[in-house]
Amino acid sequence: MDVTEHIVTALTGKFGVAPAAIGDEVPLRQLGLDSLALEELRLIIEDGLDIDLDDVQLTSRDTFGQLVQAVHSKTGANA
Amino acid sequence: MRPSGGSGAISGPHAGGYAAAVTGLGLITAAGTGADATWREVTTAEAPRGVRFREELRDLSCDFFYTVDGLDPQAEIGVAGARLMDRFAQLAVLAAREAVADAGLDPQTWDSDRVAVVIGSAHGGLPSYDAQADVLAARGARRVSPTLAPLAAVNGAAGSVCRDLPARGPSLAVTTACASGTDAIGTARALLRAGLCDVAIAGGAESVCSRLLVASACRLRAVSTRRDDPAAACRPFDADRDGFVIGEGAGLLVLERPEHARARGARIRGHLVGYGASNDAFAPVAPDPDGAGIERALRSALADAGLSPADVGHVNAHGTSTVLNDLIESTVLRRVLGEHPLVTSTKAMTGHTLGAAGGIEAALTVLALEHGLVPPTVNLSSLDPQVPVEVVAKQARPARIDCAVKTSLGFGGHNAALVFTRA
Repeated sequence: MDVTEHIVTALTGKFGVAPAAIGDEVPLRQLGLDSLALEELRLIIEDGLDIDLDDVQLTSRDTFGQLVQAVHSKTGANA
Repeated sequence: MRPSGGSGAISGPHAGGYAAAVTGLGLITAAGTGADATWREVTTAEAPRGVRFREELRDLSCDFFYTVDGLDPQAEIGVAGARLMDRFAQLAVLAAREAVADAGLDPQTWDSDRVAVVIGSAHGGLPSYDAQADVLAARGARRVSPTLAPLAAVNGAAGSVCRDLPARGPSLAVTTACASGTDAIGTARALLRAGLCDVAIAGGAESVCSRLLVASACRLRAVSTRRDDPAAACRPFDADRDGFVIGEGAGLLVLERPEHARARGARIRGHLVGYGASNDAFAPVAPDPDGAGIERALRSALADAGLSPADVGHVNAHGTSTVLNDLIESTVLRRVLGEHPLVTSTKAMTGHTLGAAGGIEAALTVLALEHGLVPPTVNLSSLDPQVPVEVVAKQARPARIDCAVKTSLGFGGHNAALVFTRA
């Protein structure tokens, strides 16, 4: 499963986000992710992809595309 | 029909006390999902169906639990909502939705600032706490979920119900161990009486199939060890009883200021006319051997209602199936009320749902008044000769009841009693 697919699965499966609502330019808060949800999401992505996002800044103003990019930068570093 | 409880003695619903109107009921129990399903099962079944072995409790001396089957909270509440609720809060949300719909109230249009939510629970989100304690021990602090802090709190049910409906009035958790649900209902009536709200959703919710908690209850020798026959293990007032059996569930009432209920032409299912509470100030677990605490709570509730012992036709007792509780409680019921009330414990059907028990059993008390039918104490086959009250066993007993009492006792010495009258 690639990074985008993994995050989409988490958003729809764990947070009840409608797949159609997800897009690169969509802010995370528009997907219903508040600060608590973002911290949950951080753990889910870390566990699923076996990476460390501890130093990644996440706010609900960030877009889905920015989140994917940030995760990519960490998986790249791992590879 | 057996005349019972001085019918005709009560003049009107107010009977001297403050009569909060009961306009809605919601029940999720091991006996059924929904108030109608639970009532049917509690009044007709010959044995409980929801009690069974649970993997979480493997190898404990009590490894069985009254479980709510056939419920899909994720589907009912939605993934986004359910994820922020421990199971006890999910059960509360589903019971609240039923109770509010039953009351004919519409949360889209009601004055939400005037709706209170008061939900009792003894242990709240303990299962979330357990799960994350395991994560902490096995994987370290970095892997602990940020959801533990909000989910494990005992007020999780009240907060979840407020968000779900929505309700924006006073909201609180009441936590007095196994008397929590009863004290929550009494507290809600006080809020209504004080004019702090027009509507209050009140009762209890609990779901603690927690290995840690049950292991402790086993060491306390408070729970039944009848592992060869779990369905027969909870047998209140029976000579062979050996402890309680924990269950999960939620029971909520919609209470209203009587003027508010009348003004909107609500169907009134019963009146909550009295509440009394006390503490034994004696021991953390054992009840006062003379039952002085539960006696004071019961007498206070009757005085609050302006009713006399002769008026009471039915008692839905705490009746946990422990040796001491059933003996002391029934002795007090006899001493205060006399020998005429029809006493029952519905815990053999629902399990002991701890903080939810008072909410579930208060709803069943209202249903008993409404239907003129006292549910049987299932599993009672040989009445303990030391139990000095008339316990309804085997079959539900039709009776015209004008007034009924719900009693609860909790670890910590808490005692509470509610008095209801027929609508």
